[in-house]
Amino acid sequence: MKKINRRSFLKGGLAGTAVVAGTAVSKESSASQSFGGYPDSMGVLVDFTKCVGCRSCEAACNKEQGLPAPDKPFDDMSVYDEIQHNGQKRRTSEKAYTIVNRYKVKDREAGPVFRKFQCNHCNEPACLTSCFVNAYTKTKEGAVIYDPTVCVGCRTCMIACPFYVPAYSYSSPINPVIKKCIMCYDTRLKFGRPPACVEACPQEVMTFGKRKDLIKIGNARIRSNPDKYIDHIYGEKEVGGTAWMYLSDVPFDQIGFNTHIGEQPIISYVKEFLTIVPMVLTIWPALFTGFHLLANRKEALKNEKPSGKE
Amino acid sequence: MTQVRKKIILLLITLALAGWPAAHCLAESGPESATLDRLANLYEAVNFNHSAHVDITEGNCAECHHHTTGAVPTNPKCLKCHPGGQESDSMACQDCHSAKRFEVAYLTEIESNTQLYHIDKPGLKGAYHQKCMGCHQTTGGPTGCQDCHVRNEKGDEFFHAGNFSPAPVAHNGGH
Amino acid sequence: MNNLAKNGFSPVVSHQKKDGTTWTVKEKILLGLTPKDYLAQQFKNPFNWILAVIYAIGLPIIIGRFIYGLGWVTHSSYDYPWGLFLGFGLFTMVPLSASGFMMGTTVELFGRKDFKPIERLGLLNGLLGYLFAVVFLQIDLGQPWRLIYPMFVSLGPAAILFLVAWHVATYLSCQVAELVPAFAEWMGLPRAKKFIKSMVLGLTVAGIILSTLHQGALGGLFTYAPGKVHPLWYSSPFMWFHFFCSAIFAGLSMLIVVSTFCKWFMRWRCDQTFLKSLDRLTLGLSKGAALALATYLVIKIIAIAHDNDWSYIFTGWGQWFILEISVGVILPLVLYTMALRNGSPALARTSAFIAVGGIVLNRLNTALITFNWDLYQEIPHWREMVIVVTVYATYIVVYRAILARMPILFSWKEKPDQ
Ligand code: SF4
Ligand code: SF4
Ligand code: SF4
Repeated sequence: MKKINRRSFLKGGLAGTAVVAGTAVSKESSASQSFGGYPDSMGVLVDFTKCVGCRSCEAACNKEQGLPAPDKPFDDMSVYDEIQHNGQKRRTSEKAYTIVNRYKVKDREAGPVFRKFQCNHCNEPACLTSCFVNAYTKTKEGAVIYDPTVCVGCRTCMIACPFYVPAYSYSSPINPVIKKCIMCYDTRLKFGRPPACVEACPQEVMTFGKRKDLIKIGNARIRSNPDKYIDHIYGEKEVGGTAWMYLSDVPFDQIGFNTHIGEQPIISYVKEFLTIVPMVLTIWPALFTGFHLLANRKEALKNEKPSGKE
Repeated sequence: MTQVRKKIILLLITLALAGWPAAHCLAESGPESATLDRLANLYEAVNFNHSAHVDITEGNCAECHHHTTGAVPTNPKCLKCHPGGQESDSMACQDCHSAKRFEVAYLTEIESNTQLYHIDKPGLKGAYHQKCMGCHQTTGGPTGCQDCHVRNEKGDEFFHAGNFSPAPVAHNGGH
Repeated sequence: MNNLAKNGFSPVVSHQKKDGTTWTVKEKILLGLTPKDYLAQQFKNPFNWILAVIYAIGLPIIIGRFIYGLGWVTHSSYDYPWGLFLGFGLFTMVPLSASGFMMGTTVELFGRKDFKPIERLGLLNGLLGYLFAVVFLQIDLGQPWRLIYPMFVSLGPAAILFLVAWHVATYLSCQVAELVPAFAEWMGLPRAKKFIKSMVLGLTVAGIILSTLHQGALGGLFTYAPGKVHPLWYSSPFMWFHFFCSAIFAGLSMLIVVSTFCKWFMRWRCDQTFLKSLDRLTLGLSKGAALALATYLVIKIIAIAHDNDWSYIFTGWGQWFILEISVGVILPLVLYTMALRNGSPALARTSAFIAVGGIVLNRLNTALITFNWDLYQEIPHWREMVIVVTVYATYIVVYRAILARMPILFSWKEKPDQ
């Protein structure tokens, strides 16, 4: 695949210096700020009102990420009629990091809604927090990437991801690993360039930029077209905020979004257990040794022996 | 890899250089046609018939060129800054809609220039397609990719189509 | 074997034979029978024929799993990344093996020496349960050879699974150590036994800490999936306590179940102390189980009240939940209480079987059945089921082999017939 050596990284990095320099300024301040993601991180605003379902983004991702050939050509629109045998629409898989699905919406003048999705690159990624080999990294550019060389294959991240994103290369007996969108980190984002799917889209459905600017842009679009857009940027706050955010002209729950997902990052649901760990570690030894001494004292008295040991 | 990625973006950068340099609101002063061939990596060049589109809009340049030809905007919001229209030095799409919409320089500019109102202008490729498709969808114009762009072999490879179609496979696991 | 024992056969219980010479290890392994007799004995047992059939089908599939990958034995579901191996294997085995730390605690810490005859069975049940939970894990992990990565190569200490991995690993060693005395007696290594005896208190306390945390942590693992586990089974603050508390009655009930099987099928191997005290011990264990069941029931209800999930009770899932609670929790609770009041070990045993079934249902519900409750139901691949059956069969085989040899159900003697 596209392994980049250090030299070409530096070269290509020149183009991205501006972004990197911009982010470097706030690096120190962000170190202490663990919530809400890196302040200057990048993101993508996806506007479904513009998507025409051409699947160019899928093709671009396939090429950029060196994924295996698809089952059907990327210009084959019959995939939109596919119903997997469990009644679900297509989802991300080990062969496709991004998927466009079609949703028929009643009384929508422009016809069906096409929804592109991929990893949302959460500010506080559930996948990252659940990984026991620390394979995942949230980079300062905003991407959630992972190191397949340490993936053990426990698949907890797949359990944890609230968006059902990570896939697993079950088909490989020797080196099965997690597979998901990495926001083109290695080949593009790191150098300050937009992801391949963003660049490939003829309709500019996706706007690449700093996450905080995208929120402004999203709000401005809603504000200038209040009759068109649903007044919500999906991903601005969901599960602690995501780098990829969405605008739509139909309610999000009608196009496959989970609207009950809440604004708490997933880790906050887990913290309740994590807080008891140190308590058990410190209190239990004293408590149970105490019980032991008490119990044996009784026994010792009963047996009128100096020690409780048998 | 990089090459192909570039192809995708450059696809319609070509359009910018090649066509649509509308000079004045006078419809007849626009070009007869323009050849859009920057996407040669994936598609054959497109021969855009400008004068036919002038006919379709009945000479209303603002339909596509906004206020740049001096026409009075119909959108009241635009009117606030461009009252009575405001002719621009250039009305070529590329001069406002950047082909490098997502490059660092552009992103830095919209972030640091607090005077800038238009921070959400589509890039060149997006501007073309949104404009074309927006109209084609409502007026019954062609909307399929290949209705306008004839794909070449590189394009077939990119889309895994044509001679590069995958062999039909049985469903291979993974719900 | 029971028949053999009726006809006057007595298996090895000591280092010395009747004539004063010592048994060799080989003879000990063959239980004092000649190789021919031993084999004949094995062939006569119909259960072994069932096992043979299971292995004939299961072993090639297990081998196939490592040759062709997980995709060959499972449906490779991205939505249900955890299937039967974890849902029915790991998540069920671990609570059923909680008997180890509880027997340790009861006997060594609380000084209830009256539970001594069943302590070792409890410890063994714990050890084997954990061992096979790890076996299930190793079959399920995509890259089992990387199991040590979370320990030494790339550490993710903030993850719950990290805690589980470390605790189960440490606890396994703990349990091995706790069972060294039994092994040492059998092999005739008195020094090893003495060494462990000197640190038994430390081991036991470590066992309680580790057990509390990792039993709870298995519940904690599911708190990562608030939208996926059905709200009635999900509780961010109480999930770990549900798992921990249910592990207590699960472990105790499992011990009653196993001891019952020993009494029925391995009577020849039990000594009189064990057989005579078993009824009393069963009731003793029942008391603990009943208390844990009652606590569990209360916190289950508190969890629903806390999240205000009452409205779900009236849905289809709610009925399924009520069924699980009534059959898996309330029924055994009532039966245990009746058994204690009437002093009926038989009733306690019935209750134990139901409680074990209840805990299996609960873990399956959490991990598989109600998981993705608003998506679709995943039916595991048949090969996945076969592997699970095969691993459980191996569990039984190993369990049986150890019980038949090491002094778990009987006490070791220096000379026979004392
Ligand atoms: S490339 Fe753009 S328009 Fe085409 S399917 Fe993807 S997001 Fe939609
Ligand atoms: S969408 Fe899922 S896989 Fe992507 S960062 Fe968020 S939790 Fe991780
Ligand atoms: S960002 Fe890159 S990896 Fe992710 S879906 Fe787009 S092209 Fe694929």
